[in-house]
Amino acid sequence: MSFRALLAVWMSKFVTIGLKIMGRGATSLPGVIAQRVYLLLPDRLLRQIDTCVIVTGTNGKTTTTELLYAMLHSDDEPWLVNRGGANLIQGILATLLQKTNWRGRLTVKRVLLEVDEATMRLVLPSIRPQVLVLTNVLRDQLDRYGEIDQTIMLLRNAAWGADTTLVTNADDPLCVAISSINQKPVFFGYAPMESTDETSVVDLVSGNQVRDGAFCEKCGALLSYERYFYGQMGIYACPECSFKRPELSFAGRVLDAGTAASQLCVNEYAATQDWRPSEDREFLVPNPLKGLYNAYNLLAATSAARTLGVSPSRIAEASKRFIQPLGRMQVFPGHPERILSLIKNPTGADSVLSTVAQDAREKMVCFVINDNFADGRDVSWLWDVDLEVFVENSPSTRYVCAGTRAADMALRLAYAGVDRLDIKIVDDTEALLLVGNEEALPVYVLSTYTALHPLVSLLTHAQPKEFRGKAVSAS
Amino acid sequence: MNRPLRVAHLFPELLNLYADRGNLAVLRARAVVRGIDLEVVPIRLGEPLNLAELDMVLLGGGSDKEQMQVASMLPQYQSDLHYAVEAGMPMLAVCGGYQLLGDYYETLGGDLVKGLRLVEMYTKAEPGTRLVGNIAIECSSIPGVVRQTVVGFENHQGRTYHPYLPLGKVLSGYGNNGRDGLEGLHHLGVIGTYIHGPLLPKNPHLADYLLTKARAFRGVQEPLVELDDTLEWRAHEHVLQMLGISKTTPAETSQPSESLA
Repeated sequence: MSFRALLAVWMSKFVTIGLKIMGRGATSLPGVIAQRVYLLLPDRLLRQIDTCVIVTGTNGKTTTTELLYAMLHSDDEPWLVNRGGANLIQGILATLLQKTNWRGRLTVKRVLLEVDEATMRLVLPSIRPQVLVLTNVLRDQLDRYGEIDQTIMLLRNAAWGADTTLVTNADDPLCVAISSINQKPVFFGYAPMESTDETSVVDLVSGNQVRDGAFCEKCGALLSYERYFYGQMGIYACPECSFKRPELSFAGRVLDAGTAASQLCVNEYAATQDWRPSEDREFLVPNPLKGLYNAYNLLAATSAARTLGVSPSRIAEASKRFIQPLGRMQVFPGHPERILSLIKNPTGADSVLSTVAQDAREKMVCFVINDNFADGRDVSWLWDVDLEVFVENSPSTRYVCAGTRAADMALRLAYAGVDRLDIKIVDDTEALLLVGNEEALPVYVLSTYTALHPLVSLLTHAQPKEFRGKAVSAS
Repeated sequence: MNRPLRVAHLFPELLNLYADRGNLAVLRARAVVRGIDLEVVPIRLGEPLNLAELDMVLLGGGSDKEQMQVASMLPQYQSDLHYAVEAGMPMLAVCGGYQLLGDYYETLGGDLVKGLRLVEMYTKAEPGTRLVGNIAIECSSIPGVVRQTVVGFENHQGRTYHPYLPLGKVLSGYGNNGRDGLEGLHHLGVIGTYIHGPLLPKNPHLADYLLTKARAFRGVQEPLVELDDTLEWRAHEHVLQMLGISKTTPAETSQPSESLA
């Protein structure tokens, strides 16, 4: 390692120590400073990794990464992971620096990385992952990447290469289109039972939602769907050419959805082209998460872990112990009870809202909408969220809007049919707690990325003492 | 004449990139609250356009690939739409839809994608940064509106050039091409613009202008009832504030400072 690289490593270590003395937690600052000193530092560290697993995609990256980490990591076989959605190059660098010694050597050789789609471009020249997990490809933050076609191109580049096994979503036509460049794709998908008393298909949604993959990537014809699960995910085939949902290696379905006893039932098919089970296996994984979109995350993590040779029993054990990442339907018990969830794009927001709608109690819903770079500067996505459906199904809900784009959100709600008198705009996030709520109605706080972490500490401190520490938190 | 006001939404299955349904929701809501029946007629690519039944046309944006798919089918709509424009039918074209109004779109590779040729205009994808960000313009081309500013978000690689009146002058942002300080196009009933966000929620004056035009096209001349647009203007002002544009017109702000250091 060059002297300049070493200097950069040392700088980051001094900054980390300095931050600790000042009582500040882990941030991306050490990484930012180290890269100022030596631009190529991420490359020098990434090249030292022996086994690399990357999780990317539009939604579900953070939850899938946390789940997979729980399945992979042990004291005997330590893995390094970037947590909390720090998936841009600075966050990845800061993670690697935590396990870099003063001689500039990475002390952990197995690394699991959550990588933002656009950041793949910066990571791939340095390292090709053994396993690439692609969760889904949805319309997200178009102003950052140009348009969705460009994202697909970036991901195709990522999936290329003989040494990489792509683990991806068969139910998403865009993922499948990308997978054609990969030599050994492994597909997971949702497998609802045929019977009519099916309780495991949680949300078969209205035909209103945006579906990005509704056209055949091969010939451009309109795909025909046998079933929709959510977003553009479902069981589909092209009426014009051979493009269709591929055969699954891992088929999952949720049993006892929404209850504490909920489990994901996984059918694993031996890596053949045969639909019929040859050396198949069925196993159960406790499902600690709410919502169909989270079932996909659990299925993605399980498929990746199995591909890496983790036993079903260890997967089940890890899932049982799993603690949900911050701000993914995170409950803060108290009076009132508050529930925090991240929203960042239409499909994700629709899934979160349909989970909120399942809570039949009278409630308050707060939207905290920022337009910083990490949130996406363009807030037009708010108009692609199916708020009309939610508003119609949730009468007597009161709404509060905060964040830099509170006014845009309020306007969106007004046009979705909420009485303008029932919408309150507050100037700062702290003021959310002061909005009158004499009846102690449960409060759902739905927030974009940059407001999420401040909200976690705000809501934690707002809890009465006897409830403190009872919030589900990933520490 | 006792039919609802009809807005054709062209190719919604392909051109729906920047929440165009927001524009339709706003038009519909602002009509309904005034007791005007408004119907949105989706026209899928390939389906015929029944002009006699329509009062307004909306053309949204799509990704490059989708836009090309639309372009290949455009010739069948050309003469109808040309006639509609000449007859003064209001038309709102946003982003990719705006680009499709012109002669052609030249890609970075030099390929020409033919447009509707409703106006003499061309768009070129020029190397360099994408033109992305919040935008505000001063809109002088629309008479009798309560405010002169139009705000929103733009995101385009193409640079557009035409000899017509623009929709407005750029106060902050890039506009048509990032060079001449002009944004959009306003010719007869046609409004073309790169501004989305979507366009109409935060610019209710523009929404009402389009509604008025559509009604006039049907032969109804009554002015629209004023609505309470407090929320709309709050969101509008917020964008102006973010961009550092004061509420007052530029002429008023350029007073000489009295402090002499």
